Amino acid sequence: MKIIACYSNKGGVGKTATSVNLAYAFAQAGHRVLLCDLDPQGASSFYFRVKPSKKLTDTRFFADVERFTKAIRGSDYDNLDILPANMSYRNFDIFLSRMRNSRSRLKKALKAVKGDYDVIVLDCPPNISTLSENVFRSSDVIVTPVIPTTLSQRTFEQLVAFFREHDLPLKKMHAFFSMVQGRKSLHADLMAQLSRDYKKRFLTAHIPFSTDVERMGLARAPVMATAPKCKASKAYHALFEELTERMR
Amino acid sequence: MTPSNGSSGDAMWIVLPLASDVALGESDFGKLTLHLSDGVEPEEVAILDCFDGTLRKAGLLLLHSGEQLQLMGPSGGVLEEPGGRDVGFVVNLPDSELKAALSVVSPLRRLIPIGAAWRQIRTLTVLDDEGKTRARAQLTVVTTEKGGCVIARLQGLRGYDKALAQLRKALMDLGGVSLQEADLHGILFPGQTVHDPKPQVTIGYEEPAIEVATHIMAAYIPVARANEAGVIADLDTEFLHDYRIALRKIRSVISLFKGVYGPEGARELKHRFSALMAQTGRLRDLDVYLLDRQETSALVPPSVRRGLDRMFDLFEAERGREHKRLAQYLKTKAYEAEIGALAKLLAKPRKLGQGPNAQRPAHDYAADLIWKRYRKICKIASGIGPDTDDEQVHELRIHCKKLRYLLEFFGPVFPKKAFKTILKPLKRLQDNLGYFNDYSVQQDSLRAFLDDLEGPHQIEIAQSVGALIAVLHGRQLEERSKVMDSFARFDSDETRALFRRLFRERKDTE
Repeated sequence: MKIIACYSNKGGVGKTATSVNLAYAFAQAGHRVLLCDLDPQGASSFYFRVKPSKKLTDTRFFADVERFTKAIRGSDYDNLDILPANMSYRNFDIFLSRMRNSRSRLKKALKAVKGDYDVIVLDCPPNISTLSENVFRSSDVIVTPVIPTTLSQRTFEQLVAFFREHDLPLKKMHAFFSMVQGRKSLHADLMAQLSRDYKKRFLTAHIPFSTDVERMGLARAPVMATAPKCKASKAYHALFEELTERMR
Repeated sequence: MTPSNGSSGDAMWIVLPLASDVALGESDFGKLTLHLSDGVEPEEVAILDCFDGTLRKAGLLLLHSGEQLQLMGPSGGVLEEPGGRDVGFVVNLPDSELKAALSVVSPLRRLIPIGAAWRQIRTLTVLDDEGKTRARAQLTVVTTEKGGCVIARLQGLRGYDKALAQLRKALMDLGGVSLQEADLHGILFPGQTVHDPKPQVTIGYEEPAIEVATHIMAAYIPVARANEAGVIADLDTEFLHDYRIALRKIRSVISLFKGVYGPEGARELKHRFSALMAQTGRLRDLDVYLLDRQETSALVPPSVRRGLDRMFDLFEAERGREHKRLAQYLKTKAYEAEIGALAKLLAKPRKLGQGPNAQRPAHDYAADLIWKRYRKICKIASGIGPDTDDEQVHELRIHCKKLRYLLEFFGPVFPKKAFKTILKPLKRLQDNLGYFNDYSVQQDSLRAFLDDLEGPHQIEIAQSVGALIAVLHGRQLEERSKVMDSFARFDSDETRALFRRLFRERKDTE
């Protein structure tokens, strides 16, 4: 089982769109996927039309296997389930370590309902906290969208610094350029510079700025499902493939 | 958005009357709404089964369109591109869940179209106020000239059990039944019967023996005839096999029911049925050799397999010629006339004359025949030791076979449970004797093959066949050594007592 965290310490960078489309791409490829909506705004759940569950605000939640498995909702797509937002995550790292332990009660409960997962995608909230540190430690891969602007460059550098300070393996981090506008020369310059400075951290695939992605809020479905042939969908697919390659 | 044919969750199947998809609109789903996709143009499909109706008996419905196989059943599913217009044998399908679910079909039987149908697939979705799918069902509308139904495959989504239960209830309220309870073939093809290779002939306890014999024979003629078309079209080897079994049953009635017909009549009847059988012998032999091709090749070391390959290629070619000849024969007017005449004769058997046993009551007569045959078997078996001639073992086999036929023919007038007790060890003994005989016959026929061998590669073939004969001889000895043990197991106190009570003392009570 692989845990993929989608994380950015800056908001509005296309993080949720990435989580949703990556989760969808993995599911389409035949993996059993659980998308955990950790962002308190619950945007991932919104995109899949899943209503946030009121019962899940309790911190004891992660200790309670049955309540956890009952909270999972099937999406409209094969192989793709959602753990809706609106939870408190103080013990989220405990949850992740239980997901890793094949003998844990949590794992057994999932297996019992034929609901064990191959891939867990985490849509993380955009702040650096104890939660994020724990998530970084527990995940196999941290996918970070970066808009090629000077402000985003600064926050990315901060994130790298945070990894170094806390002795977190930078190897796990896979950044990519998001909301790229081809006509802006500033974008092109910054992309070249960042790719040079953080050679191994940036994936070649990047996601263009796209009205199709913006429209996801209206369609309330992954763009890869509603407009599989559009530029953005193809870009997400390339991202998925490159990531799969790196995860090998 | 593609509807899922899903691997997630256990599938639940419900069979509904036609037009239920329309009636669904009236169902009450409270806060939820139903959405039914428009059906595309119905597409023509063939319903497949094998000749003996295995799929029908298993409650499975297999639909075939040019590019796709669709199986309706507990672990059903869809297989794309099964390989062309003729699906053929299950073993040749690509590995898949669908193939696994079809494992009930004998590897020797071909899947053939048993009827045409039209299929229309629609998707039923239960949505909440956010437009989120909470449950769904794939509706396959299948219609034939005589009937039709809607087959719903329900799919639940995790965390939405209530909606699934609601959908299930709505479908059941429309007159739905579970797939296990529904007789899909019966609904789609009312009146269509499945070929039964073993027709049950009811026998009266006091029925005159001549009537029993005639009834049994008359019942097997249609069985033989039903297989003719499959033999001619060369669909699979089981058609010829079953054709021969039916004729052999008839012939064995003639020889086992001694003194029932006049001696002239019996002789003539036996002669005519033997003549029909003789036409089929060589083809059946070749079928058996070729079906065992791989297993047989594995018996000899790889170094001499090439010769065997050449032999099998010769068999393959001969089989082609032999099949063509038999198919032509079965299509002749002479054959048609002969089998028609035989059927007529058995319908009005007065011409066959009556023997001294003709009017003996069935039960009494059967008990006599079985008891005598049983005593004979015991006598032969008691004389068999490690050094006895093989001829005696062959004798034993033939008598066991005859006993088995008698028990099967007269089963209906004896207690079922007692018969089961007798048949089980008898079958085991027969298996042992059967293998012994097969190995022996195979060696003989291989020797005959070598004697007639001409053309290129003679030496290579002869070496391989020689090696094979040696292996078969070893196997024959192995089976031979088991015969005494097998018989001892058959000859238990319990079996003895049963035979005595049922056939000697003629007490039916257990």
